[in-house]
Amino acid sequence: MSENLKYLTPELFLVIFNLSFLCVMLFVKSSSILLNCNKIAALALIITAVLVYFNHVDANPIINGFYTSNEFTAFFKMLILFLSSVILYLSDAYLKKNDLLKYEFPILINFSVFGMLVVISSNDLMTLYLGIEIQSLSLYIIAAYRRDNLKSTEAGLKYFILGALSSGLLLYGISLVYGATGSTQFHTIYSAIMYTDRTLGMQIGMVFLLSAIAFKFAAFPFHMWTPDVYDGSPTPVTAFMAIVPKLAIGAILAKVLFDVFGGISDKWQLVLVFLSGGSMIIGSFGAIAQSNIKRILGYSSIGHVGFALMGLAAVSPEGLSGFIIYLFLYSIMMLGIFAFILNMEKDGVLVTDIYLLAKYSETNPATSFAFSLILFSLAGIPPLAGFICKLYVMMAIINSGLVYLALVGAIVSVIGAFYYLRIVYIVYFSESNDKLDANIPAGHLLVLFLSSTAIVVGTYNLLGIEPLTRAAAESLLY
Amino acid sequence: MIPIEHFLIVSASLFVIGVFGIFLNRKNIIIILMSIELILASVNINFVVFSSYLGDLVGQVFAMFILTVAAAEAAIGLAIIVCFYRLRNSIFIEDANTMKG
Amino acid sequence: MALYFFYFFASTAILSSFFVIFANNPVHSVLWLIVTFFSVAGFFILVGAEFLALLLMIVYVGALAVLFLFVVMMLNINFAGLRSGVAQYLPFGILIGLVIFIELILAFVPWDFKEQSFNNLSSPINLSETNTVALGKVVYTDYFLLFQCAGIILLIAMIGSIVLTLRSRPDVKRQNITEQIFRDPNSSIEVKDINPGEGI
Repeated sequence: MSENLKYLTPELFLVIFNLSFLCVMLFVKSSSILLNCNKIAALALIITAVLVYFNHVDANPIINGFYTSNEFTAFFKMLILFLSSVILYLSDAYLKKNDLLKYEFPILINFSVFGMLVVISSNDLMTLYLGIEIQSLSLYIIAAYRRDNLKSTEAGLKYFILGALSSGLLLYGISLVYGATGSTQFHTIYSAIMYTDRTLGMQIGMVFLLSAIAFKFAAFPFHMWTPDVYDGSPTPVTAFMAIVPKLAIGAILAKVLFDVFGGISDKWQLVLVFLSGGSMIIGSFGAIAQSNIKRILGYSSIGHVGFALMGLAAVSPEGLSGFIIYLFLYSIMMLGIFAFILNMEKDGVLVTDIYLLAKYSETNPATSFAFSLILFSLAGIPPLAGFICKLYVMMAIINSGLVYLALVGAIVSVIGAFYYLRIVYIVYFSESNDKLDANIPAGHLLVLFLSSTAIVVGTYNLLGIEPLTRAAAESLLY
Repeated sequence: MIPIEHFLIVSASLFVIGVFGIFLNRKNIIIILMSIELILASVNINFVVFSSYLGDLVGQVFAMFILTVAAAEAAIGLAIIVCFYRLRNSIFIEDANTMKG
Repeated sequence: MALYFFYFFASTAILSSFFVIFANNPVHSVLWLIVTFFSVAGFFILVGAEFLALLLMIVYVGALAVLFLFVVMMLNINFAGLRSGVAQYLPFGILIGLVIFIELILAFVPWDFKEQSFNNLSSPINLSETNTVALGKVVYTDYFLLFQCAGIILLIAMIGSIVLTLRSRPDVKRQNITEQIFRDPNSSIEVKDINPGEGI
C-alpha cells in the first residue's frame, strides 16, 4: 500500500494543502492574506503541476486497479493545473470588485481541480463516478456563488438539476455495465466485452454512460444548460467552467471510449457522429441571434466540443491525437478571450453586451488586435491555430471514411465564422456613443497577448505539443 | 431464489418514474430533487441485486458510495434552493425567466 | 415465501414512488419518499445486503427525508400554483417514460449472466462472514482511496451549504470567547471610591 502512495503525491499534496488552508484561514483575520488567498491557491496548483511532472509513470493500473498514472493522465493533469491556476489569478480582480473574495472560493476551485485529477486518472467506474461528483459538486456551488444575485443562483440551480440528472444516468449505465460484465474496472470490462458485446443490457448501459458524459461535456442533445449557466454564473466561474472541466471530461470520454469500450467501436462510432454533428450545428446556429458575449461563448463551446468529438468519432490514433490537440488549443484560445471579457467594464460594472465594444479599437488598438486574432482563430480562419486543429480532426475523419461529417463541419464553420466576425466588425467599425472603460490590468493583458501569440506561433509547430499528444494517445490505445 | 429480472423490472420502473417526475414537475424544484432521489434508489437496487447475484461485494460498496454522494448532493441542492427562495420568494423554476432559452 | 415479500415490497415501492411525483403537497411527497425507501430497504434484506438496508434507512429516512421536510416547511411554499403546467407535459412525459421503460424491459428479460463474468469478480462474497464484516474488511483496505474521496465529497457539501446559506448579520450580538478569555480585571473593572451622599 505505501509504495502505491508514491503515485498519489500530486493529489495528496493538493488535498493536504486544501485542508490545511481551510483550517488556517478559519483563524486568520489578517486582510493581506485574505486578499492574496487566490494567489496562494494558484501557487499550490502550480506546485501540484510540478509534482505531476515528476510523478511516477506506470503502464499498468495502480492502487488495486482503481487508478492510472501514465503519459496521457500526466499531460491532461498538467494542462488542467496550469490553466486553473491562471484562471484563479485572473479572477482575483473581479472577486475583489464584487466583494466576493472569500477564501472558500479558491478552496472550492481547488477541490474541483482535485476531482478532475481523480477523474482523469480513474481506471475504475467507481473512481470515475466519485471524481465527477467531486468536480461537479464544487462547480454547482461556485456557479451559485453570487448568492445575492438572482441570475447566479438560478444558474446554479439549473446546473445542479441537470447535473444531478446526468449523474443518475451515469450510475444507471454503470450498474448495467457492472451487471453484464461483473466488474467495474476498465481493463476487466475491456476484456469482458469480447463475450458480452451481444447483450442488450450492456449496450444500453454504454449508451446511458456516454450520454451522461455528453451531458457533462455539453454536447448536443444535452447542451441546453450551457448558455444559461454560462450567462448566469459569475464571469470567473464561467471562465473556469468553459475551459477546465472540458479538458477533464474530454480526457475521460476518450478513456472510456478506448479503454473500456474499445472492442465495440463500431457500436459507439455512430453515437459520436450524431453527438458531434449535432453539437457543431447547434453551436453555430444558436449563437447568431445572441448579443451577450457569455451566451455566445456558451454556444461557441458547444460547437467546439462538436469539432473535438469529430476526432474521437474517427476511431483512429490520429483522430485521438487530433482530439487532444483540439482541446488544448481550444483551452488556450478561451483563456485569452476570458482574460479580455473579465475586463469588459463600463463605469466600473462588468458588462456582457457585445455592442458596447463599438469602436474599442480606437482606444485600445493593441488589445483589440489580440482579441480579434483569437476570435479569428476560434472561427477557424486560416492560417491560425484554430484552423490547424480543425484541419487535424477533419483529416482524421476523412481518413476513416466519414466524409459527410467533415463536410458538415466545413459548412458549419463557415456559418459559425459569422458571429465571431460580427464581434470583430463591432470592435473595429461599429458606431456607438457608449464606451467601455479602457484600463485592463497588466496581468490580464499578458495572458491575452500570450494567448494570441500562442495561436500565431501554434500555426507553425502547434507549440510542440504534437509529440506529447501522440505519446498520450498511444498510452491510451493498448 | 427470486429471478433477477423481477428486481430489474422494479428498478427500471423506479428509474422511469423518476425521469417522468422530472419531466412532469418541471416547475417544482423540490419534487425534482425527490425524483432524482428515486433515480438513485433505483440505481442502488440494481447495484445491490447484481452484487448479490454475482456473489461480488463491489456492487454493495458502490451502493454505499452512492448513498454518501446522494446525501451530499441533496444538501447542496437544498442549499441552492434556499438561496433561490430568499431572492425570489418562490421555488418555481419557470417563474425565474430572467434568462431566455 | 420470499417471493410474496418481494411482491409486497415491489407494489409499495412502485405505488409510493408514483405518489411522490403526483402528490399535491410536497410534505406528502416526502412522506411517500420515505415509504419508497423502506420498500427498497426491504429488497436489500431480501437479497442479503442487511448492512446497506439499515444504512439506507438511517441515511435516507433519518437524515435526507428530514432535511427535505425541514426545507419544505421552512420555505412556506405556496402549493397552489405548483401543479399548473403538469397537464401540458403529461402526454409527452408518458410517451418518453413508456419508451424508456419498454426499452429497458427488452434489455433485461431475460438477463443472462455470462459464465465468464463470474471470473471477473474483484471481491467475491464470502458467505461465512456477515455482510457488515465483509463490507468493513474491504472498504478500509482495497477501497481506501475511494473512501477518502467520499469523505472529501461530504466536506465539499459542508463547505458549500455554509458558503451558500450562512449569513452573518451585524445586528445580532454574539459571544466572542477569545475576547472574553483575554479580559482581565485591570481593564474591565474600575474601582471607584464614592463618598456617601455625593454620587459619581
